Amino acid sequence: MITKKLALLLFICFVWSYTLAQTKPVSFSVSGTAGITYEGYGLNRSPSGWTGYSARKPWNQVRFNFTPNFTFGKNFSLPFNFNFAAIPTNFAGPYAGIKNQNFGQFITNPLNSFGLNPKYKWAELQLGTQYLKYSDLSTGDIGIFGIGFDLRPKTWRFKFFTGISQEAVNYFAGPPTVTGAYKRKNWMFQLGKEEEGKYLFAVNFAKGKDVPTSAAPPPLTIRPQEGVVISVEANAYTDYGIYFKAEAAQSTFTKDVTTPLTSLLRGLKPFIEPHTSTLTDFAGQVAAGRKSNNFDIGISAKYIGAGFQTVGYPYMQPDRIDYTVNTRFNAWKKKINVTASVGRRVNNVNNTALKASQFIGNLNWFTQFNEHWSLNVNYNNFGFQAASGMNPYGIKNVSNDFGVNPTFSWTGKKIIHLLSLNYNYSKYDERDVMTGLTTSNNTHTALLTYVPTYLEKEITPDFSALFFYNDVPGVKLTLFTLSSALSMQAVKKKLKLRGQLQYTLGKLNSFKNNNNLVASCNIDFKISKKLTWNTFLTTNYFKYGNEITPNGASYLESISRTGFQYKFDTKK
Amino acid sequence: MKKIIYSIITAITCIAGYAQVNTNLILMAQPPAQLSEWGNRREVLTLIVSSPGIIIDQFKIKAEIKTVDGTVIANTDLAKAPSFSSNPTGTTLLFANDVIPLEFMMFTGKYKTALQRTGKLPADNYTLCLQPVRPVDYTALGEVQCKSFYLASTQLPILMKPYNEEILNQKTAQTAITFRWTPVIPRQPSPVTYRLQVFEVLQTQSPMQALRSNQPLLDKEIIGATQYIWQPQLSFINSDSAKLKFIWVIQSLDKAGNPIAQTDGNGEGRSEPIIFYVGKAKSN
Repeated sequence: MITKKLALLLFICFVWSYTLAQTKPVSFSVSGTAGITYEGYGLNRSPSGWTGYSARKPWNQVRFNFTPNFTFGKNFSLPFNFNFAAIPTNFAGPYAGIKNQNFGQFITNPLNSFGLNPKYKWAELQLGTQYLKYSDLSTGDIGIFGIGFDLRPKTWRFKFFTGISQEAVNYFAGPPTVTGAYKRKNWMFQLGKEEEGKYLFAVNFAKGKDVPTSAAPPPLTIRPQEGVVISVEANAYTDYGIYFKAEAAQSTFTKDVTTPLTSLLRGLKPFIEPHTSTLTDFAGQVAAGRKSNNFDIGISAKYIGAGFQTVGYPYMQPDRIDYTVNTRFNAWKKKINVTASVGRRVNNVNNTALKASQFIGNLNWFTQFNEHWSLNVNYNNFGFQAASGMNPYGIKNVSNDFGVNPTFSWTGKKIIHLLSLNYNYSKYDERDVMTGLTTSNNTHTALLTYVPTYLEKEITPDFSALFFYNDVPGVKLTLFTLSSALSMQAVKKKLKLRGQLQYTLGKLNSFKNNNNLVASCNIDFKISKKLTWNTFLTTNYFKYGNEITPNGASYLESISRTGFQYKFDTKK
Repeated sequence: MKKIIYSIITAITCIAGYAQVNTNLILMAQPPAQLSEWGNRREVLTLIVSSPGIIIDQFKIKAEIKTVDGTVIANTDLAKAPSFSSNPTGTTLLFANDVIPLEFMMFTGKYKTALQRTGKLPADNYTLCLQPVRPVDYTALGEVQCKSFYLASTQLPILMKPYNEEILNQKTAQTAITFRWTPVIPRQPSPVTYRLQVFEVLQTQSPMQALRSNQPLLDKEIIGATQYIWQPQLSFINSDSAKLKFIWVIQSLDKAGNPIAQTDGNGEGRSEPIIFYVGKAKSN
């Protein structure tokens, strides 16, 4: 019902905007897109009743998008951002497991956005769903449905927004279980000065507060929370490409607002009262470096206290300090491009957990020797060490990846040929904390690709063969893949076709081979200058050997997606 | 007659006042690191107070937390702590919120600072001692009961591979993508179930929006291991030849299927997610 109403509203808006676009006053223009997409999913498993493979898409889904930007004269613009789907598919976060959503839940579901941002000169009104990033440590990852503004007179910055980031979701024992969530209200503001490309100084504030009585029955494992973050941010840039960025933040976060109030802990009155579960901690980050055409270098460090928490970044991992040095340079008349970084992350800065340390290093080196030959080499290392509590040996995991990719191309009379080999060796060592023995997990991947490009034809095929081998004590997995793709244009270039066929032969230990066939195609048809019809079809057939019970089980999976996109464009 | 009855009542009250109270402390060996969480979970701490045949009018619980060397790092502010009366059946059950109410616990030095900032104490072995006392002069009504416990904050996995913003070769990724992550520390009593989820980020979505709203293309539970090789069996050819974007995350679950570290961060036991791309070729 909700979807139907919104679809009707969208249709009216679409017709209205189309009419405006057709009449086109002199000082009026529209850009952006509007469209509708249907996606269907099918899964057939054999033998019937076998449930060893699960669906990974909703059976049916319809998505709408309506994102025109109406511009009236030089100073006023009215951008829409409506993106929504008919069926909720939430698996993580506050709406996980929800099937039937009420209007409030539909509006605030992260699946859907309903935003409107009328702007006059330097003043922008923000209405509906907004994903606003104020800074790296205050708020930026969550969408809020509400109202606010962004004012930028000269170099001043005044921003404010308030709304709801999640509606209440009642706990449901299931099956399937719905964890539930409390309604969360949010407030944020920023006060600052900025001259783009020169400097930024801003004070950010973000607050979120759950309504403890909003869910009935309430979630069993989630507590109603409340948090405030205040941060100070300063960035500076010079004409020589040198930059400096820094931010310091303090969070006061109550993990459970039903715990008793206390005078023994610090709050942040009048924004937040201290409870026995209130934490006050700090975070900071700093980065400096220089950027130029042929040489970049930068250094950065980030500290997140163990008790630092912000509602604006719900998945931020606390209790760590990272520092990284990275560089990029070109040499040999720009025929050599190198990017590299090296860094370290240490957990347990506040000594509340076991010490964990990670080393991260990356190198990518590309060389174009001549018009025929190029070579890309890359190396990645990730090492992790930690004590393991009462066990005799500490945890130690080290991942090393080395890749080499030579490419050779040559030109014939009618075809440009490209031959590319990509080999990657990956080694993953893991120490057992009880025995101290290290097990090695080795993976070899080799990919050979041939791409002929016809100079006088509208078709571009490619062919590839891939060998994958993974060896870990007790398990040996081999995959061999052959694939070919073809892209072409037809109907005076109004029709673009892309097709792909891929066959994979898999073998696990001494079991019988398994077989996999994937076929797919894209069909993009330009009905008019402004209207396109896009279709994507794919099917996947997989047949097991005897590595699972029942032996010889198989499944056939299909995805079909089709939709129309209208492009608003009144400019000649 | 009235005088006799009054004398008997007075005598009983006096006996009750100085009666010996038996206590039995049951405490988890490795309770939640977040001290405020102790009160939400009754299985963390139970104090059984019994006074067979006698009704104890009023008593308080004196609590002390000590380090291994016996240094007291926290004790109850008895003047403010709540009083209890014994159950007429002779047995009273008290829980963490009753015997170590954080609003009336006085922590010292660095432990106070750590608790204010993190809600936790430094990772170490500690001893909790409880004793019933009279509300007026705090004299002992029973013996001290002590139990040791180990506190260490649980650290969720850190995602290793594909590393953040890595661009995977389209042809290789269609056959296999290797995922690696660090284990939960400290090592848990039973093998951890790592739920690996991969979400496609649609063009109109931010990565976090995709994670919180889309059905995952991969939703796999891996017990004890920290690597998984995914055979996507998907076609990654894209209509506009742009790179496809994905976000992946690990959710750590205990043997009952509940998220580990429910009180930290997002409460879902999910690590900090990272994104990767699938494109026609690796970036140079």
